[in-house]
Amino acid sequence: MSHSKKAKIFNKNEDKVNWHDKALWFVREKRDVAANKVKGWEHLRDYASGIKANVLSNLDNYLVEFESNAIKNGIKVHWASNAEEHNTIVHKILQKHNAKNIVKSKSMLTEECHLNPYLEAQGIEVVDTDLGEYIVQIAKEAPSHIVLPAIHKTKEEVDELFQEHLGTTPSNGNPEYLTNEARKHLRSKFLNADAAITGVNFAVAETGGFVVCTNEGNADMGAHLAKVHIACMGIEKIIPKEEHLGIFLCLLARSATGQPITTYSSHFNKPIEGNEMHIVIVDNGRTEQLNREDFRSSLHCIRCGACMNTCPIYRRSGGHSYDATIPGPIGSILSPGKDLKKHSSLPFASTLCGSCTNVCPVKINIHEQLYKWRQIVVKDVKQPFVKKVVLKITGWLMARPKLFNLLGKSGRFILKYAPRFVVYSKLNAWGNARELPKIEKQNFNQWYKNRNKNG
Amino acid sequence: MGREAILNSIKKNKPELVNIPKIDIQLFDEEIDLVETFKNNVQLVGGSIAEINQINNLDSEIKKLYPNAKNIVTHIPESNLGTIEITNETTPHSLKNVDLTIIKGEFGISENGAVWISEDQFPIRVLPFITNDLVILLQKESLCLHMYNAYKKIFDRRRTFGLFISGPSKTADIEQCLVIGAQGAMNLTVILV
Repeated sequence: MSHSKKAKIFNKNEDKVNWHDKALWFVREKRDVAANKVKGWEHLRDYASGIKANVLSNLDNYLVEFESNAIKNGIKVHWASNAEEHNTIVHKILQKHNAKNIVKSKSMLTEECHLNPYLEAQGIEVVDTDLGEYIVQIAKEAPSHIVLPAIHKTKEEVDELFQEHLGTTPSNGNPEYLTNEARKHLRSKFLNADAAITGVNFAVAETGGFVVCTNEGNADMGAHLAKVHIACMGIEKIIPKEEHLGIFLCLLARSATGQPITTYSSHFNKPIEGNEMHIVIVDNGRTEQLNREDFRSSLHCIRCGACMNTCPIYRRSGGHSYDATIPGPIGSILSPGKDLKKHSSLPFASTLCGSCTNVCPVKINIHEQLYKWRQIVVKDVKQPFVKKVVLKITGWLMARPKLFNLLGKSGRFILKYAPRFVVYSKLNAWGNARELPKIEKQNFNQWYKNRNKNG
Repeated sequence: MGREAILNSIKKNKPELVNIPKIDIQLFDEEIDLVETFKNNVQLVGGSIAEINQINNLDSEIKKLYPNAKNIVTHIPESNLGTIEITNETTPHSLKNVDLTIIKGEFGISENGAVWISEDQFPIRVLPFITNDLVILLQKESLCLHMYNAYKKIFDRRRTFGLFISGPSKTADIEQCLVIGAQGAMNLTVILV
């Protein structure tokens, strides 16, 4: 199903869409306040982008450096070309330890690899311990946002889910009560976990260590209680030196939620004595994207979600309308590289306003890449008949300025004098749920000429 | 499979070497009151601040702040409030009922209210997360301006496990309502001395 069709489903509940739109815009505004407080913010973005460009151009060497340093520190390193290999590696580690109860903190990579269903099919329990992820897990849904996974759920919906799964008493969606109930439940999961799986925010080549950022403390509760810690990372998570974290940690939380830094930025360098620490380094299509010059910089992404919070389309269509692990603008330039046909509508889920590019902490030119994907999509994927015809006619018309002007004039005349039921008929999507602007006598061209005449 | 395939694919697909930017830290320097900014930021991220004039007042201050705490771990010689002894041998799971933990922070960062703590201050890694409430004792002189200074300070450390901690654990996953106390500590007080 195309993005617009799925967006239509989300748009059925107008109140919810309005709330979703405003809630995310509020996060965007918090990001602005936080960014404006930092001296040299734009320098930070430049450096971050420059460091990531260097990383991609030297990625193989950095990965090897990271691996050898990690091994020196007693960490076991694994490599997976694709999702299947990743899942098999994780499963083998768990099998070796006879691990049946797993706690997992947020990791978009394991979502991408569909690790949970894979492990569950092997009789292993996996509990997502980030509250938002826990909510979508018991709702049997996918996260709709990479930082705010349950942003599409109302508190009343969470209340009902918790009643069913945790036996809570109805609370009209009291967030404190519900969070505390989840805390109690997840505590027992942490205390009984055989292994913990986490993501990786940054992996440092120079030291062989890695950093995991959370606000809830769930990654740490899992990793320090279980005997085995498995951290899964995409190859692009590498940064050259530890000091570069000074740049990235400054940008990450401010861009994501407007916090100056996440509550916990945990630096893992060595396993606890007697425990095991594993890192699984995953490609799964990333080296292919590395080869695409126009789209390479999409691999700079540090998964802050700022492009989602600011996107007028994302805010009004919801994360699920993208039908991809990573939704929103960044997802719309990553996903077509994985499956062009399936995700062919995503580059069009944008007004190309460029707001995503403006807020991106690592300066990915997201809206330009969306435009470039469109060029590829119309060449390689069959387009709907109506769209093709309309675009052809428009192109033909645009090449004939006299006719275009004439039609413009008559169009303005009709819009002005035609009865309301004609102008606001079903054929005019622009008049759906809003008033058209006042119709002017002259068009821009005429106005501009007159203005110049009048000096 | 795996390793060689990935490395070969990168070699084949990567662009020409782009130089690593040289970072000019001075761009981020500013003249601010380190202590005041730090205090404001700790409160901004949901933490509390207390100040004591001399270290002898530490225990009375903590008792005032956490009068109901019974199971207490102190891992600093300056406090005598501890009721639970921990060593490297302690099983992490046995700490599940700890009400209050008192540890030392190595240094703080003004611009974000974070404190660096590491395994040197808590022999059991899960301690600052599993404890219900956390008190961090921090020297005012230890404050630095920003993250870049911070990484200079920890460059030579014994790298095992450490973290920047900024406020108590929190979540806004239910309708964006901020709730303090998610999976980690419910409450964090930084005591400046």
